[in-house]
Amino acid sequence: MNVSLQWLSDHVDFSEYSMSQLDELLTFAGIEVEGIQSLPDHLVVAEVLSSERHPDAEKLSVCQVDDGSGKPRQIVCGAKNYKVGDKVPLALPGCVLDAGGGKTFTIGEGKLRGVDSLGMMCSSKEIGLGEGADGLLILPATLKPGTPLRDVFPAVFELEITPNRPDCLSHLGVARELAALAKKPLKGIAHHGVSTTPVKAAADEITLSSETCPYYTARLIRGVTVSESPSWLKVKLESIGLRPINNIVDITNYLLMETGQPLHAFDMSKLDGGIVVRAAADGEKFLALNGEEYALSSDDLVIADKTRAVAIGGVMGGEDSGVTETTTDVLLEAAYFTPAAVRRTGRRLGIHSDSSYRFERGTDPLQVAGVSDFAVKLILDLAGGKADPELLVAGSLPDGPKPVALENDYCRAVIGAPLTDETINGILTSLGLTKAGEAWEIPSYRLDLVRPIDLVEEVARVYGLDNVPSHTRATFSAASKADEAYDFMRAIQDRLASLGFYETRNLKLISAAQLSDDLATTHRGMSPVRLKNPLNDEQDYLRPGLIPGLLASASRNQRFGRHDLRLFESGRVFTAPPKGDEIEHEHLALLMTGARVNRSWADGKPSALDLHDLRAVLEQICPEGLNFVPVDDTRLLCACSIEIGEGKKASKLGLAGIVPPARARELDIDAPVLVAEMNVKKLMAARNADPAHADLPKFPGSSRDVAMLVPRDLPAGTIAAFISAHEEPLLQSFELFDLFEDSDGVKLAKDKKSLAYSILYRSSDRTLEAHEVETAHSKLLDSLKSGLHVDFR
Amino acid sequence: MLAELDTIQTEALAAISGIDDEAALEEARVGFLGKKSRLTEAGAGMRDVPADLKKDVGQKLNEVRNAITSALEEKSATLTARRDAAAFASIDPTLPARSLPKGGLHPLTLVLDEAVRILRRMGFALAEGPEIETEWHCFDALNTPADHPARNETDTFYFENGKLLRTHTSSVQIRTMEKEVPPVRIIAPGSAFRRDEIDATHLSAFNQLEGLYVDRGVTLADLKGTLEYFFREIFGSKTEVRFRPHFFPFTEPSFEVDLKLHAAGRAVKWIEIAGCGMVDPAVFTEVGAKRGDSAYDPSAITGFAFGMGIDRLAMIMYGIPDLRLLIENDVRFLQQFRG
Repeated sequence: MNVSLQWLSDHVDFSEYSMSQLDELLTFAGIEVEGIQSLPDHLVVAEVLSSERHPDAEKLSVCQVDDGSGKPRQIVCGAKNYKVGDKVPLALPGCVLDAGGGKTFTIGEGKLRGVDSLGMMCSSKEIGLGEGADGLLILPATLKPGTPLRDVFPAVFELEITPNRPDCLSHLGVARELAALAKKPLKGIAHHGVSTTPVKAAADEITLSSETCPYYTARLIRGVTVSESPSWLKVKLESIGLRPINNIVDITNYLLMETGQPLHAFDMSKLDGGIVVRAAADGEKFLALNGEEYALSSDDLVIADKTRAVAIGGVMGGEDSGVTETTTDVLLEAAYFTPAAVRRTGRRLGIHSDSSYRFERGTDPLQVAGVSDFAVKLILDLAGGKADPELLVAGSLPDGPKPVALENDYCRAVIGAPLTDETINGILTSLGLTKAGEAWEIPSYRLDLVRPIDLVEEVARVYGLDNVPSHTRATFSAASKADEAYDFMRAIQDRLASLGFYETRNLKLISAAQLSDDLATTHRGMSPVRLKNPLNDEQDYLRPGLIPGLLASASRNQRFGRHDLRLFESGRVFTAPPKGDEIEHEHLALLMTGARVNRSWADGKPSALDLHDLRAVLEQICPEGLNFVPVDDTRLLCACSIEIGEGKKASKLGLAGIVPPARARELDIDAPVLVAEMNVKKLMAARNADPAHADLPKFPGSSRDVAMLVPRDLPAGTIAAFISAHEEPLLQSFELFDLFEDSDGVKLAKDKKSLAYSILYRSSDRTLEAHEVETAHSKLLDSLKSGLHVDFR
Repeated sequence: MLAELDTIQTEALAAISGIDDEAALEEARVGFLGKKSRLTEAGAGMRDVPADLKKDVGQKLNEVRNAITSALEEKSATLTARRDAAAFASIDPTLPARSLPKGGLHPLTLVLDEAVRILRRMGFALAEGPEIETEWHCFDALNTPADHPARNETDTFYFENGKLLRTHTSSVQIRTMEKEVPPVRIIAPGSAFRRDEIDATHLSAFNQLEGLYVDRGVTLADLKGTLEYFFREIFGSKTEVRFRPHFFPFTEPSFEVDLKLHAAGRAVKWIEIAGCGMVDPAVFTEVGAKRGDSAYDPSAITGFAFGMGIDRLAMIMYGIPDLRLLIENDVRFLQQFRG
């Protein structure tokens, strides 16, 4: 909301406050100052002394203007809406104006089509006073040339009023608040609730048939002259960025901004019979004064005459029932609409007006009749005419706020400061509350003060947290499951960073196309979770896994020329079972592509990363006993289940493999892309959480090497599993130390490969005799031969 | 005999000192100490030495053998050292390193971790909750009116089943109070979602850190002290913090916390960094109704809550100008935070 400092000073004298002091006063009232508009230097009132056609340009005029210096100044101007004698804003050379988009431009002396122009005459838009009409801003004729424009339009604050404080949505409201905080008197009336007009219960003239409008008043003024508003009124509206329209409409807008009470003026001649406040018919069409047609529903409240709706209650008037130049009889509406109803309609229809903004936050019902009186007085002053002696009233005022009891000890206990009763009572009194016995009477405009805590808030706000001494206290907290999971993941993140991986954080919302990159969904029947109202089709699913994001990141980096990549991400993924709640898991995923090491003097042609590098990294972050178990999964080449342990007891953590090269090429990646994704909870469960000491071997072991010739397609994992399962108490461990294949078939048949293992035998209670080792080893060899049909070399 | 031994020693030591390679040294060892050496022969001649001289000659023999042996060892050590030095002499220590790949953590992880470490020192434990939330946990239980604009489909992501993507981590306050009884002292980092188009200052998903402390006698002064300590730990002991009155449906009184930012080359200004306040009694009442007990009786307990944007903290801490950098994962960006 724009609040003009000059307008505020109608109510409170802030002349000794600097802008920054006012800013601070507002800020600590809880009113955020989003901006302060103040007009620049070298911008003055000028009077147009003469205007002639530019010799070389049909659309330009050469004007002589009085800038207050006593010497005429020549300005070339393109506008057409002024006449000689008008007062207009003049930007003198050196004046810095806003050019939009955060840029400024400085006015200089120059030539336009060969004619000197020593400044610029401005429109309201050019000097930041709102959109306004086209052409120059015509200023009040009473202004003296040379007057700084800043004196005509003083600073305007752009304020953000929090939703709990609708009473501050007006100049009077802000003034009232600031006067209380600055301990200054409020000038003039503090509240417009007082009406001196006799009231007539208007059951015949006004029919109220909806609960959403409990109180409606109308006043008829006949014989008005609709015309331009006087300059004081136009300046007031323009100063806060409103466009003057005509005296009647301007008065309703002025009072809205002055008091927060929306008003609406109907052209009486365009109403067919009395006022009916009713729910709209489903599908009822309404042409609003913004030129848009709306289809209403029975949830919407309309103000209607006998035949049609003439306004959407509290939101906007109709195109064909408003006040125009030809209007002579005016029906002035002042009413109270319930906030929820206006909010619902405004939201459903997507209409937001200054009026609905206030009704939906809550207006002061007690003010309705008083503001109507005020408006009628202004109309009679500015537009003439004769008002009906009585205010037509239908319905009844809703109950005002109830008294609230506050125990000062409660207040002190919440705030944690030794506030005296005097301080607490003083603050509440300054805000217009009155003590009545044990309770506080609440002013009718303070709709937010309902419970004791609401009063505590007022005390805390006005007293200021600056004045509350800081205090700290702590409680011992046991580590939670979340703590454990956090620490577990942090350790893995550190390990991966040490292994050369950068951590990514991709958006959790992905596109339907990216779903095909997902590896995490392994169970039939699980489906990705789709948003009902996505922003766009790039972000309409919650990620079911981390690979889609990692691939997108890898692709982006490739395009920036970074080909060697090691990336990881950890975070939440989402999936939906056929029935029941969506499931959220923590996952960890890795991606590697490019060279194994950076090209350097030490290795000028580094080899490309392969699946075994990925496995090496996984072994660094997984518990002992990691296995890659090949699985059928068309989403990857060499797809492997990442498992800890053997056989049926193995814990399946996730999936690893190579992204199909065709997909990688689509992402601009030419090298093999190795990926793995794991479930963090399973990874955590598989770890040895309580490592314990075991005695170190006291006796030396003895190792024997065996080289075996096997079919090339026999997986090493099969041999390893076979040796692991071999029952030999002396067999301690084994290691594959050589792998030989010959694609040319020269040293070895093409369909064979040679694997050499070193097998360690050891006993825990003695040094083994050579023959014991030999016996154990030949049993293993026999077993390999009979079980796997291997040949030994 | 004694004179001959002196001669053997003198000659041997002179020869050894002149040796310059390990093969010659080995030859000398055999020549001076081997079976056919003059010294060994002299030793064999001991049997012809008269008895009264045997002791002196024997002693002399040992002295000579020891002297030659140590001269050989000394020379050997010298030659080995020379060979060792020569072996590494060609190394150019100014060559760039052999390459090990470098990696690092995302700036958001680094900032969050620092925040978490500080708050844990202050006795906060971590808590978490689902990101796909019910409207009750995200809004109703947090005292948000039924027609509050934040519930609009224009502002919040919904699912067909009526659930939503949580718009703040404050829903974890509710999740925690449903399960735990006071004292509750938790922090909850996590994602939140708002239906914002992505630009330099908006992301549709962002990262927050929520805090909640509920106990008997928790005050606004405790909240102030806690957040002041936190921000001074994270941004330095001279950090200026101010509390501006504000409004949130689920706290009362509510404040926004501003930090005085001194950025190089920019005017000093206050920037908004967190929201906080005393837990609104209506929140306790709602939680109590759900729990069906009086653990959160608003007349017996109070609490404070705070929430801050981790993305914003990272922007301030590292001077990151555009939020999109945080989700693009450009390695050239990520590698700036290795420290």
